[in-house]
Amino acid sequence: MSVVLELNKVVKRFGGITAVNELSFNVNKGESLALLGPNGAGKTTIFSLIMGEHRQTSGSIKLRGEEISKLGTHKRINNGISRTYQVPRPFNELNVLENIRVGMMPDSIMDMIWKKSDEKLEKKLADNVGFSSKEYYRTPSELSMGDLRKLELARTLATNPEIMLLDEVFAGLTVGEIEHMSQLLHEKRKEGMTFVIVSHDLRSLEPLVDRAVAMTFGHQIAEGSFIDVMADEEVRASYLGE
Amino acid sequence: MEKIFTTRSILLWILFAVVMCAIPFLAGKGFLRICIQAFFLAIYAMSWDVLSGRTGYVSFGHPFLVGIGTYATAILSYRFDMPLIASIPLGILATMIGGTILFLPALRIKETYFALVTLAFMELIYQLTQVVRPDLTGGTRGISGIESITTGAINNYYLSFGLMFIIAFSLWALMRTRLGNALSAIGMNEEAVKGCGINTTKLKLFAFLVSALVAGIGGAFSVHYFGSLAPRNLFDINFLFTIIVAALIGGSSTIIGPMIGALFLTFLLEYLRPWVPGTERFFIYGIVALLLYMYRPSGIYAIFWEVVDKFKGKNASSIKDSTSIQGVK
Repeated sequence: MSVVLELNKVVKRFGGITAVNELSFNVNKGESLALLGPNGAGKTTIFSLIMGEHRQTSGSIKLRGEEISKLGTHKRINNGISRTYQVPRPFNELNVLENIRVGMMPDSIMDMIWKKSDEKLEKKLADNVGFSSKEYYRTPSELSMGDLRKLELARTLATNPEIMLLDEVFAGLTVGEIEHMSQLLHEKRKEGMTFVIVSHDLRSLEPLVDRAVAMTFGHQIAEGSFIDVMADEEVRASYLGE
Repeated sequence: MEKIFTTRSILLWILFAVVMCAIPFLAGKGFLRICIQAFFLAIYAMSWDVLSGRTGYVSFGHPFLVGIGTYATAILSYRFDMPLIASIPLGILATMIGGTILFLPALRIKETYFALVTLAFMELIYQLTQVVRPDLTGGTRGISGIESITTGAINNYYLSFGLMFIIAFSLWALMRTRLGNALSAIGMNEEAVKGCGINTTKLKLFAFLVSALVAGIGGAFSVHYFGSLAPRNLFDINFLFTIIVAALIGGSSTIIGPMIGALFLTFLLEYLRPWVPGTERFFIYGIVALLLYMYRPSGIYAIFWEVVDKFKGKNASSIKDSTSIQGVK
């Protein structure tokens, strides 16, 4: 399998704090990688670095072999990487379909003016993540946390990514919603989408991933299959407190 | 392209134009002159709203843009005897170029800082017009005796209304495309818009250019209507707040709202004149604006639709639908 995303000795310092310290890992095409670690380990920072929301202090991030460290967030997204956030960020005055519409927008002013939105696709994306037709026109204030997470996922899928970074994708979801979400992610994997997933819900995460990288205090402490990583003593000590 | 024009919306625009065009046959010249002032204020308010109402980047320096258009046109026409057909477009162009050069760095800063920087621009140009080349700008006294485009209240009424109508209709059509959605989305959550792969700086710059174009048109035409300009009035904090309040109390992030707000404010100020002749009028309009904004922050336009829907027997949620970003605004 070819490497699509490559992090090499990435360091990120915020003032005197080193949030990420010489972290390196690869993600192969079509693979699903779990990024594990306790709160404050630097997982979300890694996502922000990959997306260009923060710039790394040193090290390199490559997408399909090309260095992307100097690209802005929108260019990285247009190159096929997209992410969801730990805390969903909906557009509060827009309904579900309109929120998805923003995700589908081209990054060209002329296309925004002259090209029509695809309502069928908006509805398909909303259906895919589990919204019913009754919920299409609801605004975020009328949605539960689980629905907001689904909306976030639908909007991210609307950017047509090849690689998705999912941050705490199961948080706030009911058992049924987790099952639906897992099903959706399985389907996307079958279609060839690549995932990097952060979740504290290890039980739901395990069947979705091929490999795992564990980190603590910005350091990488283990890499391998999910079972091997979870069996690692250092991981258990830092993550599970054992 | 999105479906912008519906039969209903086109009919409403035609009705609006017909009613407004009939007013000179029914009203006196004094009334028409108040209308002309209101139309120019509406142009400024729409210009402010394209940038600030949509994207949430509150500009306190809008008179700066109006000022560039006004001064450039007046200087070219009055000092260099340039024909109006050239001085007006050049004045508008100067607004877009000058405004962009100075405002562009400001688009990278946010919220209060953006507002303060734009306020500083207004103060900057106020001082510059008095100090730099007063032989051109007229210094503190400004310029008077500027050539008129047309004479008489009726002609000027049609000219200013025509301008306002064309600008309003064009902005309305533009904001009903996905571009309007994207600009409104920036106002709601800019980070999330970036997270959708959209270059928000480019969008904000576009909104700014449109805003500057409209402000430039307003400034360039108004100076030929009034025939004079005075920096103290142009770069006045009352003028700035009148523009902002017109957009807000009419209904921010809409096109109709700033027009309603401008008409409401201009007539309120004019009709208060017999009772409160001094600047105390601004105190009263301040209270009106405050009450309206406290109890109906979405503005007069939203109140209008609430009343309409009440008559139709619809519930509140349908009001939200009618004012959503794809609705008739």
